[in-house]
Amino acid sequence: MLSIWRKDLALGPRSPVLLFAVVMPVLITLLVQGVFGSLFERPPRVGIVDLGDSAVTAAALELEELRTSRVADVETLQRLVTDHDLDAGLVLPAGFDAALRAGERPPLTLYVAGESRANDRAIVAITTIDLLRSVEGRAASIAVEVVAPGGEGVPLQVRLVPFIVLYALFAAGVFVTSFSFTEEREKRTIDALLASPLTMNEFLVAKGLFGGTLAAAMSLVTLALNGALVGQPVGLLLALAIGAVMAAMIGLLYGIAAPDTKVLFALVKTLSILVFAPALWYVFPEWPQWIAYVFPTYWLLNPIVEIGQQGAGLADVWWQLVIGAAICLALVPLLARLAQRVRAPVAA
Amino acid sequence: MSTRRTREFFARGAPTHAPSRAGIVAAIVRKDLTTFGRDRLWMILTPLALFMFIGIYWLMPPRVDETLVVGVHPPAMAAALKIAMGVAEGDPALTVVAFEDVEAMAAAVADADAVPEGVERPLVGISLPLDLLLRARLGQRATATVYVGTNLPEEVRSAMATAVREVAATAAGAPLPVDWTADDVIVLGTDRAGDQIAARERMRPLMAFVVLLTESLALASLVSVEVTQRTASALLASPARTVDVLLAKGLVGTLLAFSQGLILLLATRAFGPTWPVLLVAVLLGAMMMAGIGMLTGAAGHDFIGTLFYGMGFLLVLMVPAIGELFPGSAAAWVQVIPSYGLVEAMVGSSVYGLGFADLAMPLLAAAGWVVVVFMLGWWALGRKLVQT
Repeated sequence: MLSIWRKDLALGPRSPVLLFAVVMPVLITLLVQGVFGSLFERPPRVGIVDLGDSAVTAAALELEELRTSRVADVETLQRLVTDHDLDAGLVLPAGFDAALRAGERPPLTLYVAGESRANDRAIVAITTIDLLRSVEGRAASIAVEVVAPGGEGVPLQVRLVPFIVLYALFAAGVFVTSFSFTEEREKRTIDALLASPLTMNEFLVAKGLFGGTLAAAMSLVTLALNGALVGQPVGLLLALAIGAVMAAMIGLLYGIAAPDTKVLFALVKTLSILVFAPALWYVFPEWPQWIAYVFPTYWLLNPIVEIGQQGAGLADVWWQLVIGAAICLALVPLLARLAQRVRAPVAA
Repeated sequence: MSTRRTREFFARGAPTHAPSRAGIVAAIVRKDLTTFGRDRLWMILTPLALFMFIGIYWLMPPRVDETLVVGVHPPAMAAALKIAMGVAEGDPALTVVAFEDVEAMAAAVADADAVPEGVERPLVGISLPLDLLLRARLGQRATATVYVGTNLPEEVRSAMATAVREVAATAAGAPLPVDWTADDVIVLGTDRAGDQIAARERMRPLMAFVVLLTESLALASLVSVEVTQRTASALLASPARTVDVLLAKGLVGTLLAFSQGLILLLATRAFGPTWPVLLVAVLLGAMMMAGIGMLTGAAGHDFIGTLFYGMGFLLVLMVPAIGELFPGSAAAWVQVIPSYGLVEAMVGSSVYGLGFADLAMPLLAAAGWVVVVFMLGWWALGRKLVQT
């Protein structure tokens, strides 16, 4: 078994599937953190041409609610706003601050991109007025309390982390295991292996071990990349181990079911919806949560998310881990039985 | 060959003249299309991908929600808020919902089920003190509360707090710190306030690309099988020359990709007044994908290898289409990706209604890349055929 594991480890890097399993979780993490964040939760982008070293510019650059940048001249600002590289642009003439503080109400031009959203325009306008009032030094005498009656929400990037972790687990645990198994079958190297003292069950364990180890490692890396290693390490490792075992077993089931890589590809494409479905309940927390319990993969994903991302302890999730382990145990006789179907033609 | 066909073949006797080149190419195209039709994988994946993308398109919201719905208590302050935010009547930026009761407003912000019937759900609720006007005039400090919904972006929260301060400043009779009139706000470019391009329109080129690329993978798989099973060698032993096989593969790839791309665009109602531009763009895209199909099919040693080479191309070619989801112009490095011109032409025609004159440059650039990619695919596959 160890020999097969070592062989897979040595030859694995040549396989594009392994490359996919290692590279994709990292790529998806970068995409989700870098792209989705700015796609759905994007503050208005404002450019400022400051011709007089205004305090307004300095204050605007400090703001988190606007993405402010300095622009060299008015022509560049107009071009950037026209191309919608900026949502809006301000031109602050020389002596602007002095005029403001003297109460002279100097004129101010605001360029707005035609394709900018109406609410962004309103936000830019009101935030600009607030900045001007702070520089003017005549702030209104009112305290504002901000209350979130429904609780603070979770940003989309954070809600997508379970999906990425599940992907890391499955790219390695399911895809690598199943493709490795089917490849051996297609190239008939499995026949040679089973002609040796190796039994079918040992072969399955060796294949599962390789995919499972990789799955645990990649999901750990993915959790670390997404800053989701906040819970108990022992609990997390246990949850990852159970998750990796389940992923590898599902991979073996796929491998046994598919006579060749084409069928396996079709299986992966079509059944992935069921495998990845539980991750949707993290993205849409308002959906009834009990539906997610129906999917077996929920029981491997939720303990990892609760410990890694939400800081839960082993005491909080032990029963979920027991259900996950029970599903793995239930898969053992099913795998053993299905493996007979693979062994039969080989023996013949 | 069926028995009837065998009988007919022998009844006709051996052909007395060499078949025409067009006849040979047509025969290979027919064979490839039949093989494709018998391949269960692609016969499942092709309609599945089409169905999925068409479904996603129609499920996505048809318009951009650019309106901030704000609840206000007491109702008398609704007009003051609009003035403070510089929003005119009928402006799509802001909808103010007046609430008689603060608790009802807070509940509506927190929970969609608590929103009174016939009222839009507020994302934010602003509760101003009833004696705000008096306190502001007297210069006394007042306190207001802003109720924010779950996941409300930071800039909206902050803007609402600012709006409250501005209402207080207006109530105190403080003029705006700058001389700001409507003429000082200059809109550059076509003003799309209230008429933004929906995300699904921007996503359409991305969907079209994935569909086109699925067909490129199908061609690559077809080519790969022919190379590994030496069907290609058998073909070359017939009167068919390498160039005939290559031409046939190019035609099959283009035909498959073009038809799927066309179905997607028709089903998503992409064809507007400048539909010929879009048609040319899809045709160029299909030819490019055929070139990629030949290239990856020749390079891959097996199904998985072919698939992953294809995925590599997919990731790169999708970049300009993904870039369309973001506002602003594409970075210089994105503009040199072969699919950039195609995406520009697709978006220009289907979203902005631009014609050939406006999109000449992207179309020419795309055509140039099509020639390069097609030639590369032709060269790689030709080399592989000669080797086998």
